[in-house]
Amino acid sequence: MKARIMAVMLATAAAFSVAPLPAPAQAAVLRISPNGTDIATLDPHRAVSTTDQSVVAWIFNGLVRFKPGSAESADLEPDLAERWEASDDKKAWTFHLRRNVKFHGDWGELTADDVAFSLKRAASRDTSTFAASLANMLSVEALDSHTVKVTLREPDASFLNLVSNYRGGYIVSRKAVEALGNRFATSPVGTGPFSFVEHITQQRVKLAANKAYFRGEPKIDGIDYRFIPSDSSRELAYSSGELDIFYAKREQKWVDQARRRGNVVVDIFRPGEYRTLHINRTVAPLDDLRVRQALAHAIDTAQIERFVGIDVGPRGCSVVPDGYLGSDCSYGAYTFDPAKAAALLKEAGHPNGVTIRATTSNISAHLPAMEIIQAQLAKVGIKLELNVVDHPTYHDQIRKNASALVFYGAARFPVADTYLSEFYASKSAVGKPTAVANFSHCAVADAEIDAARHEPDQAKQIALWHEAQRKIHEDVCAVPINDILQVWGRSSKVDYGYPLKGALNLSLPITEVTTLAER
Amino acid sequence: MTSFVLRRLLFAIPTLLVMLTAIFVLVRMVPGDAAQVVLGDQASAASLAALRAKLGLDQPVYVQYVSFLLNVARGDLGQSLSSGRSVIEEVGQVLPSTIELTAAAIGIGLLFGLPLGVAAALSRNGWIDYVSRVVSLIGLSFPAFVSGILMLIVFAIQLGWFPVLGGSGGRQSFAEHLRGLALPALNLGLIMTAYVMRVTRAAMLGVLTEDYIRTARAKGVGPVRLVARHALRNSLIPIITVVGLYFGTLIGNSVLTEIIFNRPGLGKLILGALNSRDYTLLQGLMIIFAICVIAVNTLTDLAYGLVDPRVKYS
Repeated sequence: MKARIMAVMLATAAAFSVAPLPAPAQAAVLRISPNGTDIATLDPHRAVSTTDQSVVAWIFNGLVRFKPGSAESADLEPDLAERWEASDDKKAWTFHLRRNVKFHGDWGELTADDVAFSLKRAASRDTSTFAASLANMLSVEALDSHTVKVTLREPDASFLNLVSNYRGGYIVSRKAVEALGNRFATSPVGTGPFSFVEHITQQRVKLAANKAYFRGEPKIDGIDYRFIPSDSSRELAYSSGELDIFYAKREQKWVDQARRRGNVVVDIFRPGEYRTLHINRTVAPLDDLRVRQALAHAIDTAQIERFVGIDVGPRGCSVVPDGYLGSDCSYGAYTFDPAKAAALLKEAGHPNGVTIRATTSNISAHLPAMEIIQAQLAKVGIKLELNVVDHPTYHDQIRKNASALVFYGAARFPVADTYLSEFYASKSAVGKPTAVANFSHCAVADAEIDAARHEPDQAKQIALWHEAQRKIHEDVCAVPINDILQVWGRSSKVDYGYPLKGALNLSLPITEVTTLAER
Repeated sequence: MTSFVLRRLLFAIPTLLVMLTAIFVLVRMVPGDAAQVVLGDQASAASLAALRAKLGLDQPVYVQYVSFLLNVARGDLGQSLSSGRSVIEEVGQVLPSTIELTAAAIGIGLLFGLPLGVAAALSRNGWIDYVSRVVSLIGLSFPAFVSGILMLIVFAIQLGWFPVLGGSGGRQSFAEHLRGLALPALNLGLIMTAYVMRVTRAAMLGVLTEDYIRTARAKGVGPVRLVARHALRNSLIPIITVVGLYFGTLIGNSVLTEIIFNRPGLGKLILGALNSRDYTLLQGLMIIFAICVIAVNTLTDLAYGLVDPRVKYS
């Protein structure tokens, strides 16, 4: 209700505000607002939230990087490593570093020792949240001052992804980490285009242009990253000329209104949060394939796509999101066919329908979609009883196997393995010691998922991923619903310097080429 | 008075102990997993278990309880589970902002509420009385997030008098600082104005019918002196009670004001701690809230004696 009232008021505000008010002349500091309340940490090997990861991405570099504006792993390009080679079995990777790359402040020049230290740090559970993703790393050694060799336990044709500018791939200054200790999380030292200046609790993080940046001095003077959790306040602050870029509402209605008003450039980009309805195969009657098929045929994803909006929420097809390396939907999506769904239920011995209980989050990205699904299922005789809880409770409950259906949105590294391993490998099933997020207890494609991970030939690897998706589809472990893409608003005075099609950390890759015209 | 204060502090100890126990139990009754929030939704069960052990969340509840009490006794409220900073440090960074906003709101409440309440009582059932009552009703029934957005639209967007992002922190001139504070203080102060106005009116109506007021009038005491010296002073006790009582309410209401006007504060901190299941920060904040309320209640009791000599500190 509050959200609705606020939306009406915001629309009123937008109607009154014709154009952003002029702000006094000042340095070219880009003022950006995400939707977070504050940062938790700026240690790149600990930063989990999108709010934290955005800042980390502006301060640090990886050995390789995603081309700015792209979230495709096919677009990886040199970053701190100017070139690299891999052994034929894809178990040994040698990286040759750029020379004369300086850490921010007085922390000296980047060497192979910093890279070896960073990768070991990222692979350690004591110092990194992303240790599991680097568990395949056997050793890292500095061959000379600017050459690093990584040896893997098992072949990994996609290893470059793990040393990119994302999560565990960031390179830190060994001297700074050792000298600052825990304070490194609040005084980060990297090699990126922007250096850390200050953090004011619940208010802002300020970054300054790194004039010694190895790709050249940034064209803007710095970044003022403001924490404004209220959607309405962010947009009002933009209208009053106090922001240049803001995290916008991921709603088609907002996108259409903003485009009509014309005072804001709307950027919509990938990866989205891919929303999937996981079907718990351990809960009766969902342990019967025919009931799962009935459920899949009863859901009209086109209706949900229309509800969310075609620009913001395109519908899904495969269990691996579209655009991920290895995604495949050649077998087609589940067709919406209520008659077939009813017939399947009858065949499964439920002519009068079934009752299913599911726990769902109360956030706006979940509840409305689940209510639509509830109404669609009711039409074929599937009564869905929803237990609506707050978001942290939802995360707790679904990991205790307490829900027959789990509506889950996630954005992952854009390679099929991340999705397949986390959501569909049997070792990731909730309740197991090795659990991650296999809410359906899917176990039909373990062989393909494991084989693909260790396959050095990428063509064969992709073929295995395709086969895994086909099997998961046939067993109806989950119903792909739709993507919710990232939506940001920006002033026309901001030019990123590249076409923005994707950003893996869900924020904006502001780089040395980004410009801000005089306000 | 010193012995009165000491006695009050002594009485506060069992209250504090009961309250600490309630806080400990309540925080742990909230479903959710702090380790999951810290490590994110891709964390494996093994990593989660390791972090829970590191944070002491795998210890038996009674061990956690005893450790909690001992730490509080030492003045150690622990470290935030999500940021790793000490709770005292986290609170210290936003507490001045909350105190500033609350004090400004109470100031606005007294500045407008007292004269409006007096005027309403003096013209009982007159137009001033009706207007004041309607205004106070609006103040009480308008949700803070609605009035806040309206204020931003009118005063920040349309008129451009104030910034949208008040209380932005960093280096600001005093004038800029006041401009940033004005709208959130007014937004929160409106509620306080309504409370103060209503209680002032009711108290004044009671006092104005007292014999000593009639006697003072008969002796020719002027209207200003009559109201200020005889009527208002004798109405202050319920007003002080309301101000003290609503101190806690104001901090609660300040959450929405802090979010809408983008100000740092305890309200926003407690909301963040609740969402991230940051138990240590959450219980630390609740303890600080409770101590604040106990302190304000004690100050309120002391203030009674200052405005009414008949009240004894015994």
